[in-house]
Amino acid sequence: MTASTPESYLADWDRRLLDFEESQHISAFRRGMRNLVRNRLLLSGVILGVLVVGAGVLGPVIVGGDYELINFSNIHAVPFSEDALLGTDHLGRDTATRLFVAIRVSLAVAVGVTGLALLAGLAIGTISGFRGGWTDRSLSGVMDFIWGFPLILVAVLFAGGLGEGLLSVILAVGLVNMAAIARVVRGEVLALSEREFIEAARAGGLSNWRIIRKHLLPNILAPALVLASYYVAVAIIAEAALSFIGLGAQPPLPSLGQMVAEGRNFLQLNHWETTVPGLTLVVMVLSVSLIGDGLRDVFDPRLRHEAKGLES
Amino acid sequence: MSEKNHEIQSILEEYQQKKLSRRQFLKKVGAAGVGATAAAALLAACGEDEPAATTAAPTTTAAPTTTAAPTTTAAPEEMGPTRGGTLREGYNRDVSKHDPITTNWYDPAFFAIYEAIVTVSPDGDFVPQYCTDFSVSGDGLEYRFTVEDRQSHSGGTITAADVAEFYRIQKFSFIASLASPISHYEVDGDQVVAKMNNAWVGTLGPLATGYWRIANINTWKEVGSYDDETGLAGEGVVASVYGTEIVDATGPFKHTEWVPGSHSYVERWDDYPGSNVPYFENKGTAHLDAIRWTVITEAGQRATQLENGDIDTLLNPAHQDLARLQGNPDLTVYQHAEWSGYFMFMNRENYPELFGDVETRRGLSHAVDREGMVQALLFGNGAATYGPFPTTDRYYDPAVEQYNNYDVAEANRLLDAAGWSMGSDGVRERDGVPLQFEFMVENESLQTAIATAAAAQFSQVGAQADVNVVDRAVWFERAGGPEVPAGLFMWLWPIPIDVLTLFCASFTIPVPNWSHANEPRIDQAIADWQSAGTEEAAAKAQSDFQIAWAETLPNMSFINQNSTFVKNNRVHGWSPHVWLLYPYYNDTWIEA
Repeated sequence: MTASTPESYLADWDRRLLDFEESQHISAFRRGMRNLVRNRLLLSGVILGVLVVGAGVLGPVIVGGDYELINFSNIHAVPFSEDALLGTDHLGRDTATRLFVAIRVSLAVAVGVTGLALLAGLAIGTISGFRGGWTDRSLSGVMDFIWGFPLILVAVLFAGGLGEGLLSVILAVGLVNMAAIARVVRGEVLALSEREFIEAARAGGLSNWRIIRKHLLPNILAPALVLASYYVAVAIIAEAALSFIGLGAQPPLPSLGQMVAEGRNFLQLNHWETTVPGLTLVVMVLSVSLIGDGLRDVFDPRLRHEAKGLES
Repeated sequence: MSEKNHEIQSILEEYQQKKLSRRQFLKKVGAAGVGATAAAALLAACGEDEPAATTAAPTTTAAPTTTAAPTTTAAPEEMGPTRGGTLREGYNRDVSKHDPITTNWYDPAFFAIYEAIVTVSPDGDFVPQYCTDFSVSGDGLEYRFTVEDRQSHSGGTITAADVAEFYRIQKFSFIASLASPISHYEVDGDQVVAKMNNAWVGTLGPLATGYWRIANINTWKEVGSYDDETGLAGEGVVASVYGTEIVDATGPFKHTEWVPGSHSYVERWDDYPGSNVPYFENKGTAHLDAIRWTVITEAGQRATQLENGDIDTLLNPAHQDLARLQGNPDLTVYQHAEWSGYFMFMNRENYPELFGDVETRRGLSHAVDREGMVQALLFGNGAATYGPFPTTDRYYDPAVEQYNNYDVAEANRLLDAAGWSMGSDGVRERDGVPLQFEFMVENESLQTAIATAAAAQFSQVGAQADVNVVDRAVWFERAGGPEVPAGLFMWLWPIPIDVLTLFCASFTIPVPNWSHANEPRIDQAIADWQSAGTEEAAAKAQSDFQIAWAETLPNMSFINQNSTFVKNNRVHGWSPHVWLLYPYYNDTWIEA
């Protein structure tokens, strides 16, 4: 029987508490990794994503060729024709070559747009939620205003001002997505600002910047990333839709939406000209959505438990 | 017996007064117990020398490239026209304002609502339509059109003076220069007299087009609160609802609805006094109750809608669907050369460093495989154009084919000679200026494909054309301006020489001479054409014009598509022919 002093008891308790926190921290990480591997949605999404990104990055290098090169003597060829793995289009251009470049265009636009939207959305949402007052009212008012516009309308406005092309698409999609991300981030920041650890940090005299950097951002980054993955899918679809109606990528630069649009006039002649880019679009969006759903499960166990509860 | 004779006499009188068509006449006398031979004899006695069994099939013997193959079934034709029904027609463009004076284009509806003073027969001859008769003076300086007072849709009366006034105001329209040799119009009793500046063989051509179709000018002025001081620029005219809500003319159908982007709709005018056009079989009111033109700008949708029965007739299905439609036994396909063409303008005034010298323009032109474009983009349903005219035109000069043929080596040679050296990035340069330019094209699938194909072929000789697909309104807003170096344009007009002069005459810079081309040879040829008093002079002027165009390239011609019309075999009397852009609807009827 060992007599313990109050001091040693407190020191022991502190040590045990630290050990517990550390073990919790490690187990959370491990749990995350385990979920990452075990989550079939995420795994499927990652596999599809790797295939798509691989096709976009390596495809043009492997297949080679000029996506602009026309060949009037070999138009509307079906897949697996001679010299045309995925067939040719109405100008005799190789579909595989154009498809890989189109994937690259889509990915570049989607990732670029979402990256910019995420950075801007995080900054605006955090400042708006944390500062409150007129700053919040002004910024959230502007964000609500932007969010209120349909994406296509914003794209048309940009196209009218800047001309049709990818720049207009990037700005339009980026602006609308930024507003969406900023609104969600602001809500998260408002909720977190009421929590004790933030109040404690304030009471401890930490600067606003330090509170944001050390305490707020780590807590909102996960949901923001999940949201961003969703908006990558939105950006892919938006770019395809805008190219479909002629506001996006301009010929001869291929994009998936433009390829679908060009092919739809020949559906009864050779549906592959539309089917191939259409399926690719489906796979791209599916992979990003699966990754987003998987990440949400990993980062937010409550949803997983709720889902399980529903399943049971 | 005498009662029967009286009945036959009455039918004969009706026929002679043009209240009955030949079919109606035959039907009625048949019902009165007269045999076919006797009926034919009666017709002959009336001055009718055509066999009674003549069908409405077009006789396009004068149209060299017509490949129409109407295969209408015989039985319903023999039964005669059925009255009633709405013809649903698919149209490949948006509907334009139904006002001949202020519209920017004319649609098939103009052929139902309006009548021109003269029109063109399937043989290519000018025949009366609004007028009952016309003549030209021996010196060619005066054209006389006899016109009776005509009631219009509103119930008003159009006199010869009203027709002359309509033409006077029409001279203010943007298209009026096509008939510039006509000095003015006068009235002489029941005759409208066109006074010429000079004898001109082309006088009747413009008068038969949609822009010169006769409206009730009194209604037109009233609706638009027209006054001579402000002319067509007056606020009332600009904001006028004439052509959109109110239309007043003399055609067999009345304007009912006009919805841009969707459709236009006309209904039969029951007080129509009958047509003067000799080749129309139906001399009375229209058989159809109504006609609805549905806008189907999506090329791939047109054929599908016809096959699905959503429409009865169709103008210009997508070329890729043509073979399928031709193989459908329920449909009849009419096909002939279209008075149209696709060309690229090159703004040489604002971009002299790119297009200022003819070697560069010719170098680019030799890089284009026009025959390949016809096969790939039109599925062979058209022709390559090396000069401005479609190959079917009666004045087409095959000598243009020695220019602008597909020859990549020659293209490179010309560009080299012009001082363009190949850069490391595959784009030629001259004096530090890359051979790179925006190539503006309207957002329409075939035009985009043509521009993309041309751009791809330019790139093979070191020229980079950046295709910029824009809305139609934007195209017209920007074309001819200093910021657009090149653009693709499609023209459509039944008399090529008239409209093509607009795109290259020095006096139409910058619009619609978007190239800002100023070629004395071309101006001279235009002047020669507009003063051509004989066929020989006209042919020479048009030949000079074509050769000058092909050599100096104010614009770069690409291809000319065929015009295609398709109908369901339940539709009869709908007979497009090569000399008119659209068919008339007087004889059209639908099997019940």
